[in-house]
Amino acid sequence: MQNTLLLTIILPAAAVPFVYFMGKKSFKSAAFLIAFICLINIALFSTTVPIILNGTEHKYVESYYWIPVLHASFTLFVDGISLSMAIITLILILTVALFSINYMQEKKGLAEYYALLTLLSIGLIGVFITSNLMLFYFCWELMLLPSYFIIGGWGYKEPYMAAFKFFIFTHAGAVFVLLGIGAIFMVTGDLDMFQAQTALMTANPELVKWILLSLTAGFAVKMAAVPVHMWLPDAHSEAPAPMSALLSGVIISAGAYAILRVSLGTVFPAVMTTDFGNMFLHGLTVFGIISAFFGSLIALVETDIKRIIAYSSIAHMGYVLFGLSLFPFQEPVTGTVLHLVNHAVSKGLFFLSAGAVMKQLEIRDIREMGGLAGKMPITATVSTTAALSIAGIPPFACFISEFLIFVGAFQTISTDNFYLIPTALMLIATVLSLAYALRFQSHVFLGETKHEKIADPPFYMKLAMIILAMLTVALGVWPTFFIQLISSVSFV
Amino acid sequence: MITLLDVSSPIIAFVSFSLLTIPAVKIIRKRKSGKTVWELCWFLTIFIIAGITVANLALKYYVEPSTQPFLNLSLTEGPSAIFSSMFLVDAISVYMSTIFTGVGAVVAVYTLFSISSDERLSERYYAVMLMIIGYVIGTTFAGDFLTLFIFWEATAVGSSFLMLYQKTARSLHATLKYLVMIIIASAFIIYGLSVIYALTGTLNFWEVKHALTVITDKHLLETAFVFMAAGYSIEAAIVPFHMWLPDAYTAAPASSSAFLSALVDQASYYVLLRVLIYILTPPTVLPWTFMFAVLSALTMIVGNLLALTEKSVKRLITYICIADVGYNLVAITSVTPLGIVGNLYFFLAGGITTALAFMVVGIFNSMGLKNLEDFSGLGKKMPLTSLALTLASFSFIGIPAFAGFMAKYLVFTSAIEANMSWLAVIGVLTSIIQAAYLLRLINYMYARQPKEEGWKKEPKKLLIPIFILAVIIVILGIYPSIVLNLIEPVTWQLQFMP
Repeated sequence: MQNTLLLTIILPAAAVPFVYFMGKKSFKSAAFLIAFICLINIALFSTTVPIILNGTEHKYVESYYWIPVLHASFTLFVDGISLSMAIITLILILTVALFSINYMQEKKGLAEYYALLTLLSIGLIGVFITSNLMLFYFCWELMLLPSYFIIGGWGYKEPYMAAFKFFIFTHAGAVFVLLGIGAIFMVTGDLDMFQAQTALMTANPELVKWILLSLTAGFAVKMAAVPVHMWLPDAHSEAPAPMSALLSGVIISAGAYAILRVSLGTVFPAVMTTDFGNMFLHGLTVFGIISAFFGSLIALVETDIKRIIAYSSIAHMGYVLFGLSLFPFQEPVTGTVLHLVNHAVSKGLFFLSAGAVMKQLEIRDIREMGGLAGKMPITATVSTTAALSIAGIPPFACFISEFLIFVGAFQTISTDNFYLIPTALMLIATVLSLAYALRFQSHVFLGETKHEKIADPPFYMKLAMIILAMLTVALGVWPTFFIQLISSVSFV
Repeated sequence: MITLLDVSSPIIAFVSFSLLTIPAVKIIRKRKSGKTVWELCWFLTIFIIAGITVANLALKYYVEPSTQPFLNLSLTEGPSAIFSSMFLVDAISVYMSTIFTGVGAVVAVYTLFSISSDERLSERYYAVMLMIIGYVIGTTFAGDFLTLFIFWEATAVGSSFLMLYQKTARSLHATLKYLVMIIIASAFIIYGLSVIYALTGTLNFWEVKHALTVITDKHLLETAFVFMAAGYSIEAAIVPFHMWLPDAYTAAPASSSAFLSALVDQASYYVLLRVLIYILTPPTVLPWTFMFAVLSALTMIVGNLLALTEKSVKRLITYICIADVGYNLVAITSVTPLGIVGNLYFFLAGGITTALAFMVVGIFNSMGLKNLEDFSGLGKKMPLTSLALTLASFSFIGIPAFAGFMAKYLVFTSAIEANMSWLAVIGVLTSIIQAAYLLRLINYMYARQPKEEGWKKEPKKLLIPIFILAVIIVILGIYPSIVLNLIEPVTWQLQFMP
């Protein structure tokens, strides 16, 4: 079909009013509508798989008229990386919509909630499948607005304060992205990522340096790398569990994706051979290590069930930053993107299972829990799957991707000695992640039962968690599909 | 071929209809029923007729824009033509008069519903409003300094009647302040103009421009420039000449604040743009850009910081008006085609966004809700009205898919293009402050519990003009090409400048 990618954007956009009005009548049908649209979108995306795997350019592009004055066209494209991210986003939105049926059923204003979720899905898909920087920024901010209202409207404690923090931090990051995009437009006269890449090669390197820093700083906020991570623990833990799953699963991954695609893919080649380029990559490594240790260590002492997972997200973004700093070698880049995919599934599952526990127990402190394995066997199983995957244990998903990153790191050491110590430190950090994952499991699910009359959550919550759990195992056992897709993209 | 009649007909239409409005409204008022409908019909007729005259001009201009980008029309022919009143038609003036007519119509509908015709003197209010639209359009078509001065001062004086309408002690005080500032400003401008006249022997834009580019001794020109820049800065409320604006716009009724911010305020930036960039001193004559860059940075910082500490919502929005001046100035100082496009886009986006905000706040104010605290929980009580204010806030902050984003993007990009990245950085940093205080407003509306129980009725009629503007904001945000294609001819008009 000719307009496949445009359809994937237009379908959810057209569905927003339908979701809203159906949600007014019955929220269940609204959730099913979202799930249905996600399925159609997955089908639409999968039609492009053969073009990507077998085509000569390994990508599929569509372009439409938009703002010619600014050289901004409505360009949609998929290559292996975009496609993997888009598919995993859709799967996560689908499960989250199903999970919400039971999880949110007592809440008010569900019509608005599902309408916002649909809007959010447009932004999330759009970020991954556009190559025009202006459209990219549109989608980038479209991720922000619905999330703000979802966290604020249906969160816990003082949700609007957490949402406020989230908004201000990420918006502050976004305006620096905007500055970078404006500067790219000024220097190259083009807003297309791939055209701009070649045009930047001849630009003033001093300026390119600032563009690179401004963009990367902006993206790092969304990615919640230390030291701009402060919004994450609050936003992730106060948000309703489905939203936490999306935040941790996809939204922060979008930050990592943007660093790979825009900072490293578009701008970085212009300074790759200079000293600054080297320093920049080493800087990413350092921030990656700090994030990994900071996140893991706090997750080890934190007692709030969702904050533990939130800090573990910071730690994992540390691995991703480390992987990105090995750019442009094939294995680490493949490993990093695969880690984004695997982390999205595993962390989404982890947050959903934590949400299920919270929903049934109505407490958040893990010290007050215990012995839930006997009472909630399914939740315990899926949560353990997620935790082991997060800890990087085979045969679960995250093991493969972490392994690939480390293979890449060892290869890089042979050319650049700098990476010797960071790689060793990163290996230590994975041990820490095993520690906090096991601590979490033993506190929540093992030991003596303190709660009677607890059972597994209702049907749709179980269904959503089981889908993701199966996917976590499947991706761990058979990662070939995504590896093939991702490794079809080359940056050099 | 555009004739003098084509150019002057919108002005004539608005001014003559404004005079007819007083008897017309009085006659309508004698009817027993259907007053509002009849008045609405009357206003719509006016705006349709005026709209036809503007559309006629625009069509004629756009038939052959490439051969004659600037059109000068003089009242008299022959050698004395350079001393006569001139009209100027170019892409900018056509665009500005179109948006003034369009936005004016929406604000007029709001005015009609919010200031009930049963109030005393309301017919004069309507008449003054229509007349100001005529004057503002006259300002955009002015082709020499004197015509510009006359139309612009008439606009300023007319505005004071709109501010004074409520006749409270506060509005008297504020209007007095405004008038004093305006008189000082006009004195400055007249002084500057007299020096310019002494230097060049004419007040015609083009003649002045040519005379100034060849001038060798620039001392007198500098004096004249300082006076004129100060004068126009006062009228555009650039920091440190901004003090009149918050008082005046707060004391005015909501419909006048909306009107003033959407039309008169934007016209004041237009005058600044025209005088600074096109006519008086292209930077080749005088290096004025740095001075205005500093003023722009000051305006953005002061406007936003004042808004951050403000409790009264209406006053908060007046401070955003000041901050908007700063953002406009960023583009003016860049003196690039992209900057001018950004400016022109900002006139529309900023104008309708502030108008929308004032309209919504006006509704809340009329219920006695003035401070941030009073806005607690309004999101649940009056969802549609609050939604409109939320949309306006996001447009102010510059979130994509709202009109304000593209305006800010163009403005900041033009600053980078002009090698003034520091100004762009200040701009985005102040935008974050803007996000902070506007989110606080949203926070009050949606997160807090309402103070009093009970539902409030939403004013259905007033929501019509409000949502017209809200929809325009969203459409312009998603698909700005509608407007950008119209103002694109400007990008190559700038190359005509010496």
